[in-house]
Amino acid sequence: MQTSVHRLRRCRDLGGGSFALEVDGPIPPTEPGQFYMLRTEHRWPVQLPRPFSLYDRAADGSWGSFLVKPVGEGTRALCALRPGEGMVLNGPLGQPFPREIEDPVCIAGGVGLAPFLLLARQQKAKGRDLRLLFGGRTRAALSGLEDFAGLARVSTSTDDGSHGFAGMVTALLDDQLQRGAVEPGEVVFCCGPDPMMHAVAQLCEARSLRCFLSLETYMACGYGVCNGCTVAVQGERFKGWPYSRTCMEGPVYEACELRH
Amino acid sequence: MLSTTLGSLQLENPVMSASGTFGSGWEGRQFSDLGRVGALVSKTVTVRPRHGNPPPRIQETPSGMLNSIGLENKGADYFLAETLPRMRQLAAGAGGRPGPRVVINIGGESVDEFVALAERFSAAGVDALEVNLSCPNVQEGKLLFSTEPRLTERAVAAVKRAATVPVFAKLSPNVTDITVIAKAAEQGGADGLTAINTLIGMAVDWRRRRPVLGRGIGGLSGPAIRPVALRMVYEVARSVRIPVIGVGGARSADDVLDFVCAGASAVQVGTAMFTDPALMVHIVDDLRQRLTAAGTTIAELRGCLHRPPDAAAPAGCAPAAHAPTGHGGQA
Repeated sequence: MQTSVHRLRRCRDLGGGSFALEVDGPIPPTEPGQFYMLRTEHRWPVQLPRPFSLYDRAADGSWGSFLVKPVGEGTRALCALRPGEGMVLNGPLGQPFPREIEDPVCIAGGVGLAPFLLLARQQKAKGRDLRLLFGGRTRAALSGLEDFAGLARVSTSTDDGSHGFAGMVTALLDDQLQRGAVEPGEVVFCCGPDPMMHAVAQLCEARSLRCFLSLETYMACGYGVCNGCTVAVQGERFKGWPYSRTCMEGPVYEACELRH
Repeated sequence: MLSTTLGSLQLENPVMSASGTFGSGWEGRQFSDLGRVGALVSKTVTVRPRHGNPPPRIQETPSGMLNSIGLENKGADYFLAETLPRMRQLAAGAGGRPGPRVVINIGGESVDEFVALAERFSAAGVDALEVNLSCPNVQEGKLLFSTEPRLTERAVAAVKRAATVPVFAKLSPNVTDITVIAKAAEQGGADGLTAINTLIGMAVDWRRRRPVLGRGIGGLSGPAIRPVALRMVYEVARSVRIPVIGVGGARSADDVLDFVCAGASAVQVGTAMFTDPALMVHIVDDLRQRLTAAGTTIAELRGCLHRPPDAAAPAGCAPAAHAPTGHGGQA
């Protein structure tokens, strides 16, 4: 693996303040949940690269895209790239969602949607429509929703009721459980803001669903050398060590592995 | 052109990894040919495993970052069994090239622990030891050894007695006068000095009304500290006769050469490795190009700020304004 410079093809406005930054390939085969460290080739205004899930990828790897919401200096610099300018990629990094789960229930909040488009494509290739519960504050915050048309069975929730279920995405999951659309014993893949993932994990535990979370932690290196992105963990996989590097053993953890 | 020496230790080039910023090198091996760097310095190894500090452990700051990792490592037994063989593998030369030196950074909470580590790693045949007298992220509220000259001298002397390989003492910048500590380490028998460790800093999140880092304070690194590091390398090189390894915010060949002019015999690259995992090798290539273009060598440039202005030297390399005379430490 090498860091490599890729030209921006286009910056697609997904609405809600988010963008799909599409870059030239080659983009290596990447599993849903794996991530890349990104920075601009020139005029990078900060020090450290920033981690992003791969959002989409051409089947032949000739292009790939990242879902980016400009919220800080680094993300703003990425979104300010013009077509033809260079983005430096390091990846794919980290561990994906478990491959052996056949028909997971996916739950996304905001830009936590990012890892699920690749998964929807994978499932589609196997003749299955991904089940996706996608929550945001408002309709506008459901950035990227249209990209799942024809690829997934999407249920949405908005806090203000402007699209889909009125309420939080956890309430939507609860509703689906009550209606039998999701059943105990099923497996949830979740990615979104920390409070949302926390609530989803709690609900899953209460309703006997296995739950895997893709964490977004602050990272410096992304390749296992800084020990800065650690989270508190428990369980066999960690052989008694209380911390785990999100970039190496994560970013996907089973909820029961995390200590809050 | 690029070769340099740290006491009895020969380096193919002056580029080294900075302890704690590149693990053992193993995770970074896929990004470049590490056989081409001057030396690999391990993350600090302690006698017993250390779990490290509670997260969050890092925060980017203007032109730098804060860390409070807390020397997370699996201890000397694990390192000797699992990690050192991998470092040796990375350091194995190829095609007649010697490959990088393997330097093990050791951290002790007592002189006895430093001695035990020095004995074990000497016996294991590593190329050199770097003594971490100065991690700001352990021992609540106080610094280890490197803020106190007598403790520094005692620890270094004990390590020297136990070690059969060159010993470098890594100095803290968080002192009133770093040259006092540098001289104490030299007095204790150090074969070289690494300057500087991180500067103690803090980040606050006023909305949550608490420090950003789990432990409150952390060590500041990156380009933000480079001018401080250069000044301290300059002062240390002027005050001792043993080689100095410069470290602090270097991220290019030009930065490395600046440290060399200030008196460094070698330069460690740290925080910048997070941004570009292949950077050390790029710097080695750029150094060759720079020195060829300038018609000089590392040996010739080293410490040039400490020599009287030379008519033959390119303008700017020996600023008369602050170049001291009569200090031949590195000449």
